[in-house]
Amino acid sequence: MTNTPEHIAKIGYACAYAPMVLIDAAGYTPYRILPMSECPDQAGQLLHDNLCPHVKRILDRAIGKDLPDLAGVVFINSCDAMRRVCDAWRQVRPDENIILLDLPAISDDAAVAFFAKELARLAEALSEWSGRTIPNNDIETSIVQYNHLSELFARLRAKLRQGRLPGGSPAMQTLYNSAMTAPFEKSLTRLRQALAELESKTPESDGIPVFLFGNVLADPAAFSLFESCGARIIEDDLCTGSRLFTALEINGNEDLLLQVSRSLLTRSPCARTFDPAQPLKMAADILNRAQACGARGVIGQTIKFCDPYLDRLPMVRETLRQAGMPLLLLEGDCNLRSIEQQRTRIEAFIEMLG
Amino acid sequence: MMYEYFKEMASGIEAKILQEPDLPNPRKKYALATARLSSRLYAGKDPVAWGGIAVPFDLLNAMGVTSCFVEFVGAALASSGMADPFLEEAEQAGFGGDTCGFHRSVIGAARKGIMPEPDFLIASTCPCSGGIAVLENLAHMFNKDLFVLNVPQEKSEQNVQYLADQIKDMVAFVAHHTGEPLDEDRLRRAVEKTNTAREIMQDMYRLAQKVPSPTDGRLLINFGIVILLFLGTDSAIEIAQAYKDEFRARIDNGIQGVPDEKLRLLWIQNRIQFKNPLVDLLENEYKANIVSDELNDIYWEPIDPDDPFTGMARRAISKPLNVNMQSRIRHLQKLARNYKLDGAINPCHWGCRQGTGARGLISDGLKEINVPVLNLEVDCMDTRNFAEGQLRTRLEAFVEMLENR
Repeated sequence: MTNTPEHIAKIGYACAYAPMVLIDAAGYTPYRILPMSECPDQAGQLLHDNLCPHVKRILDRAIGKDLPDLAGVVFINSCDAMRRVCDAWRQVRPDENIILLDLPAISDDAAVAFFAKELARLAEALSEWSGRTIPNNDIETSIVQYNHLSELFARLRAKLRQGRLPGGSPAMQTLYNSAMTAPFEKSLTRLRQALAELESKTPESDGIPVFLFGNVLADPAAFSLFESCGARIIEDDLCTGSRLFTALEINGNEDLLLQVSRSLLTRSPCARTFDPAQPLKMAADILNRAQACGARGVIGQTIKFCDPYLDRLPMVRETLRQAGMPLLLLEGDCNLRSIEQQRTRIEAFIEMLG
Repeated sequence: MMYEYFKEMASGIEAKILQEPDLPNPRKKYALATARLSSRLYAGKDPVAWGGIAVPFDLLNAMGVTSCFVEFVGAALASSGMADPFLEEAEQAGFGGDTCGFHRSVIGAARKGIMPEPDFLIASTCPCSGGIAVLENLAHMFNKDLFVLNVPQEKSEQNVQYLADQIKDMVAFVAHHTGEPLDEDRLRRAVEKTNTAREIMQDMYRLAQKVPSPTDGRLLINFGIVILLFLGTDSAIEIAQAYKDEFRARIDNGIQGVPDEKLRLLWIQNRIQFKNPLVDLLENEYKANIVSDELNDIYWEPIDPDDPFTGMARRAISKPLNVNMQSRIRHLQKLARNYKLDGAINPCHWGCRQGTGARGLISDGLKEINVPVLNLEVDCMDTRNFAEGQLRTRLEAFVEMLENR
């Protein structure tokens, strides 16, 4: 294995709770297995039709050999679908290094401590796969590096909110996708280039400001569709978007993995993680974020059959209704066609906001 | 109204049992216990808790809490033919038809005001993402405190300890709400009763494995899941003993569960909860007997009364619906061998991601040991989606294929 960015071995992952910094610290490129592929639909042979299209699509990529060489895959036990795709992956790629990390549904101290132990288990597995122990210094360096990426993304997001990011949200998503799959150095270069371009460009976008939340939406063409309907996605809360690039909060004293664990468990959550003391707080969080960023409406884009979201959307709908914040709920299947079919609804929603 | 309904139901079953006091009457005793539990849930006397399936109910019983997992209510509504309006109510409130009917019916029932108000709720991450979400919804709806048990997937010592510590915290949470601390002696007695019931159930399942089997496709419906609610009490022991006695008597007297049993089948995960003709069809027309249900098994070790939380944690982690699919398949293969099965039926309950999600893996796993699987597309809760004709045709084709092997 050489050390040029193109030749750094990759470790696959498929959930925003996967600790990219540990994978990077182990000398691998964290490679998000995105549900974007032209390979045929074969996952149904192993997984039921009513299972999340996100996991089925990434399994299609595994079956269809539409993946780069992977030195291993890190799965997170974040929901039923993730559990099942891990099971299926074991059958489809029996010789691959695979680990499943348990992820508590809450983020109290015990849960944080437990997940830290899971991270230690991952560090051990990565060391075994690479033949190299991961020194704490390397983890610290990776945290600094990825926090730097998050900081650059935060600057880009600020420009996006102002309508001053060339290419708007599709360009932003392209950058996210690249940073989710490319080595750190490459991502850094791209983000710096994007920021440098900002200096020479003039304000451009004038669509209706919309806050977008949900789970998986990685195809930049989907964002282009929103924008072509007159929406300007000014902020997102997606697991293939901003959620993944939020800086980890680290200070000098506490155990490093404990801090990584706490940061992952307490940053903007997927619907599957919640605070039992404030049930369904997710709804208020979405409203607050939409209001804070100046959105005139909210689009919720979730993948079909996603129970963590499906079971909490009624409260989101009710909370936004009471606050007078317009909401459009879309259900997708990781296929652009399914969103295209909803173009009329999106156009009508944006017209109503206008 | 609901209290009276269940109280009357319990009295009626009691009267029937008294008419035949010398018979084991296992199903009646089982029905009596569930009717009594249901009436207690509505009685407004004991503290009431709604929970997830992996909650240690013997511990709650030892703490004087009347409790059940919410799916129990969903199943009760469906089996009495009352679920559909509640499913519709939930759907109208925005809970999509793609979600699990067990959970949707409970949400609908709560919205209609027929669920008794809990004093608190205890969710568990096992078995599914939908189960924990419905408890979060109920906690919000009733404005009651919610405790969450995170059940890891692997049975490592670290994971067992993590769950055992959470169970200890759960005790403090419960005591805070009931005002009654845990009585250690009462817990010890409850654990001993759990272990006794466990041993009897193990014997009873061994008897059910006999060829031909003394059981039939109805006697043990939902048994392995619902009996968990009675662990730690005399009721669990009495019910298990009644089944064991019934099977013993049938074997001794040459009585078969299904006369002239020809095919022995396994039912995977949940039964169809509403009235339907499929079991009759199998038994009457094909002499095919559902001798085993996936969840009718002892998958946990006896619990050490000196260290009960560790044992309860191991038990929760060991649940077939919690472990990874490779382990679950090994468990299914074990059942297939022990029961000498000819085939298996997997009702792919619409809305169940954790269970039916791995349909193909389960089929492959049982195929490895030469046990064919029939995947039925069915919603175990919702009569509106029950395509009887199609299901009948598929069952017939499957059984005929088994007969010709």
